Amino acid sequence: MRSVYRALAGLIAIGVLVQAMAIALAWFTVIKDVDDGSVFSENSDANVGHMIHTIVGSGIIPLLAILLLIISFFAKVEGGVKWALYVFGLVVLQFGLAVASFGAPVVGALHGLNAFALLAVAGMAARRAAGPAPAAESPATATGATT
Amino acid sequence: MRSPSRRALVAVVATLVVLAPIGFFWQRSLIPNDLSPMTMGYADYGGGPASAHHGTDVSRLTGPVDQTPDVAVDLVAREERFDIPGRGPMDGYTLNHTSPGPRIVAKQGDLVQVTLRNENVADGITLHWHGVDVPNAEDGVAGVTQDAIPPGKSFVYRFVAKDAGTYWYHSHQVSHEQVQKGMYGVLIVQPTAADVIAAVHTYDKVRTVNGEYGERRVRAPGPIARVRLINTDNGPMAIWVDGASYKVVAVDGTEVNAPTEVSGKAVLVTAGGRVDLEIPTVKAVRIGLGGGPTTLVIGDGDAPTGGEPRDRVDLLSYGAAKPLGFDPVKATRAFRYDIGRRIGFFDGKPGLWWTINGHQYPDVPMFVVSEGDIVRMTIKNTSGQVHPMHLHGHHVVVLSRDGVRATGSPWWTDSLNVEDKETYEVAFVADNPGIWMDHCHNLPHAAQGLVTHLMYTGVTTPHHLGGSPNNQPE
Repeated sequence: MRSVYRALAGLIAIGVLVQAMAIALAWFTVIKDVDDGSVFSENSDANVGHMIHTIVGSGIIPLLAILLLIISFFAKVEGGVKWALYVFGLVVLQFGLAVASFGAPVVGALHGLNAFALLAVAGMAARRAAGPAPAAESPATATGATT
Repeated sequence: MRSPSRRALVAVVATLVVLAPIGFFWQRSLIPNDLSPMTMGYADYGGGPASAHHGTDVSRLTGPVDQTPDVAVDLVAREERFDIPGRGPMDGYTLNHTSPGPRIVAKQGDLVQVTLRNENVADGITLHWHGVDVPNAEDGVAGVTQDAIPPGKSFVYRFVAKDAGTYWYHSHQVSHEQVQKGMYGVLIVQPTAADVIAAVHTYDKVRTVNGEYGERRVRAPGPIARVRLINTDNGPMAIWVDGASYKVVAVDGTEVNAPTEVSGKAVLVTAGGRVDLEIPTVKAVRIGLGGGPTTLVIGDGDAPTGGEPRDRVDLLSYGAAKPLGFDPVKATRAFRYDIGRRIGFFDGKPGLWWTINGHQYPDVPMFVVSEGDIVRMTIKNTSGQVHPMHLHGHHVVVLSRDGVRATGSPWWTDSLNVEDKETYEVAFVADNPGIWMDHCHNLPHAAQGLVTHLMYTGVTTPHHLGGSPNNQPE
């Protein structure tokens, strides 16, 4: 369970990196397209970068955050639930900031900033689950949990 | 220390607390695969009498059945590669091997017959006559007025072109994909010798006029041209004229009363909308089509190149008032169409989704009217984005915008640009029985649920959304 917790937290951190890469790819692609005589309008299909950002941002990362929270209830990670809740809260905040940014693009700057907060918190959560389980809990509960 | 079994129990309960609400909202958002327009959503009677729906089947509300057509057109729809002059090949949909499809031209009062055959479009097809108030069975909406036409099958549309004007036609099956990829064409009723057609369409990112990319040129039809601008795209488009002043002589197929000369202003043509401009063409003029490399030059020689003017023609006060032909004060039903947006699931997908009167598709209001009703509708947009609202089978007249009364030529429209934070009050006479879509013509928005119906009492439809013909009007 600890390793699952660690893996999920790590995947969320990696997800944030993917998001930064995808959104840069998306808008540089748009600039190139427009230079080539295309228009960017309501008729334009989302490009690969936009698509990755939407799928990872509204699907994969929220799903991972929910799984991390659930796993935290079972995994014996010191402060694991607390850190999973921090991650979950920042993901919700990130989604909310994105929503607000469509109407007020200046909020988008906070969306970018909050991404770093999420990256850091997910990384710290992963570190808490690194190494073996705390000695006080592991032998007794590991056998007791099956009863 | 808590006992291990107690700890496990707490963990399981906590898991349920997290998952139960998510599962509930996810499950509730799923759209049934077989949905009747008759039973979906909830009835909104707009303060008029409530009544049950039984009676005429929409399939009986056809155009003239036995007369000989004045204009007969055969169209074959295909999914194939075609060429965009000035740009190159494009994969999409064609009618008779071209996109846009053949231009259909009729005189006022002509009986138009279009035989549409689907050669190889796997999803099925239909054609909708955008802006033409046809009888309901000819409206071409998959799942509402007909079933999608599968590959190898045909459907015959017949209607009388009773109103002169600029119109267009397009698929209304999986329309957010089929229209954008080319299944559309131009329909003109009562053409003039001065006509210049400018149908603008953006294939993904390639903006074209009459299917061609870049600076396109046409010969001046005379000293004055009547330019029929058609926006077949998903978003509103500003149009302007470099090198001459102009008059807006028609909007959505209705002539403007006493149009005045305009210079240094753009005119907005919303998605699905049409505007006819009268332009002196003694010298070459350039029509700006929303920016980008594609423009239309009328006449020989150099035409000036300008940018989009900041000011726009406001149709609320353009031209001179005249009687509407009915009294909106005597409205027998009044509806509100509030467009919002909220976070949640739509058909199981998390995201930010449209609402109508606070409800999400398919749990949306069905606006119920009876034939002869005078109907008022208040369209209010607080969704954060612009919506080009399109009511099938009717033209509505704008009464006010944000509380400011319309004072110009009666602004009859079928495709109304409603910006974020705008409120329009419109009115119309319920004079065309049927089940009519009333939706956003940014077609991906419609596919995301910004769609409802205007339903007449005493009319029913046997068609279903989804089901075995796989009807997906949007």
